[in-house]
Amino acid sequence: MILVGLAAPRRAARVTGLVLGAALVRALLLPLGDGFSTVVFGGCLLAITWFERGPSTSEARWGRGRAIVAGLMVGAIVLAPVVSGPLGARPLSAFWSWAAIAALIAALEETSIRGVLYQRWAGEAGTVAAIVVGAAVFALIHLPRYGLGAMPLDAAVGLALGGLRALTGRVLPCALAHIVADWGAWFWA
Amino acid sequence: MTTRRAGVAALVLGLVAAALLHARVGAPPLYDGIIVPPEPYRWESPPPDLRAGNKPPLSGEATLPVLNGQVAGGGVQTGDSQVVMYFGPGAFKAPAGATSVKCTIAPDPNPPAPPAGVEIRGNVYRVTCVGQPGGQPVTVVSSYHLTMRFPPGAFKEIQYYDGSSWRALPTLRAPGGDPYASVNAPGFGEYAASAPTGAPGPSIFSDLGRYAEFYGILAFVIIFGAIAIIQEVRRRRQRAPASPKKKRR
Repeated sequence: MILVGLAAPRRAARVTGLVLGAALVRALLLPLGDGFSTVVFGGCLLAITWFERGPSTSEARWGRGRAIVAGLMVGAIVLAPVVSGPLGARPLSAFWSWAAIAALIAALEETSIRGVLYQRWAGEAGTVAAIVVGAAVFALIHLPRYGLGAMPLDAAVGLALGGLRALTGRVLPCALAHIVADWGAWFWA
Repeated sequence: MTTRRAGVAALVLGLVAAALLHARVGAPPLYDGIIVPPEPYRWESPPPDLRAGNKPPLSGEATLPVLNGQVAGGGVQTGDSQVVMYFGPGAFKAPAGATSVKCTIAPDPNPPAPPAGVEIRGNVYRVTCVGQPGGQPVTVVSSYHLTMRFPPGAFKEIQYYDGSSWRALPTLRAPGGDPYASVNAPGFGEYAASAPTGAPGPSIFSDLGRYAEFYGILAFVIIFGAIAIIQEVRRRRQRAPASPKKKRR
C-alpha cells in the first residue's frame, strides 16, 4: 500500500507532463503542416491513454443513457451564447469529413485529460485537484493555437468538463459535450 | 468535499464563466485545435460554376488619428477578412491640416486590364487612404503589410497597379497550404492575386497529397482506435474469469 501511495504522485505528474509535452510537440511541428502535427498529437494522446491507463476504480457512475443526455446538454449550454449569431457560409457537404476528425481529436483529448489524467490526480490528490489540474492542462494545450486571449475561456470550459466527469463518473459525456462545442464552430465561428 | 459536490460546483462555475467569456468573444472557439476551413471565397465576378451561392466580397475601412503630421499605426481589414493591411506609426504621412486619416479597402468592380501573360486570380482590391477633413491623399513614407486571400486554383504572386501599370511584388505565401499571401505594399492603388495565363491549378498529385494528409489522420486514428478497443475487450474478457479465484484466496 505504501508503494502504491508513493508511486501515485509520480504517475499523475508524469501523465500531466506527457499531455503537455504532446501539445508542445504539436506546436513545434505546426510549421510542417496542420495535418502532420495533428496526426502526431493524436498519436501521442492515444499512446498516453493506452499506456498510462489505470485499473478500473469503484467510482460511482451514471448510466450510459443519462450520461449521454448530460453530455449533449452541457455541449448545448456551452454553445448557447453564440447560436443567435449569424450562420457562417461553410457548405454542409464539407462538414462531415472535418467533423469526423474534430470528433476523433476531441475524444482523444478527453480520454487523456478527463480519463487518464483525471484518474491519476483524483487518486493522488482528490477530485478537486483532478478537476483543476485538468482545466489548467486543457487551457495550456490550446495556448499555442489560440493564444493567451483564449485561455480563460478554455480554462472555464475545462472546468465544466472536469465537473461533468466528476459528476457522472464517465468520460463519454465530456467527449460528447466537447464534440458538440467543436462542431458549433463550423456554423458560427 | 464529496466527488459529486465538487463536480456540480465545477460544472456550474465553468459553464457560467464560459457563458460570460463567450459573450465577450462572440464566437465559439474550437477546443480540439483543428482549424476550421475558411468560408468559400467571395467573388466580385464569380466564374459561371461558382455563381450560385456566391456571396459578394465585403469592403473595410478604419479612421486613424494623426499626430504631428504622421498617421498612427494600425490596420484595416475587409469584413470577410479576404484582405488585411497593417502599418506602423509613421508609415503614412497625412496631408496638411488633416486631423485623421480614413483608410479603405474595397473590391474593385471595374479593375484595370491585367498585364500581358498574366491572369488575375480572384478579386482586385483598391486600397486608399485620405486625410480628413478635405479628402486629400495620404503619402506612403515606408511600405506597409498587406495580406490577401486567393481563390482555389493557380497562384503565383500579388500584383500592384499604381495608376499607370501593373507590377509583380515579391510575395510570401502562408505556410501549410493556407490560401493567403503577403507583400510589403509600396503604395495605394489596386492589388490582386495573379498567375501566369493558362497556369494549371493544383495538380492531381497536390490534390492527392492534400487528401492523403486529411484521410491519413482519419485512418491513423481509426486504426489505432480499433486496436485499442479490441485490446480493451480482450483485457476485460481475460479479467472476468480471474476475479472469483482472487475472492477464494
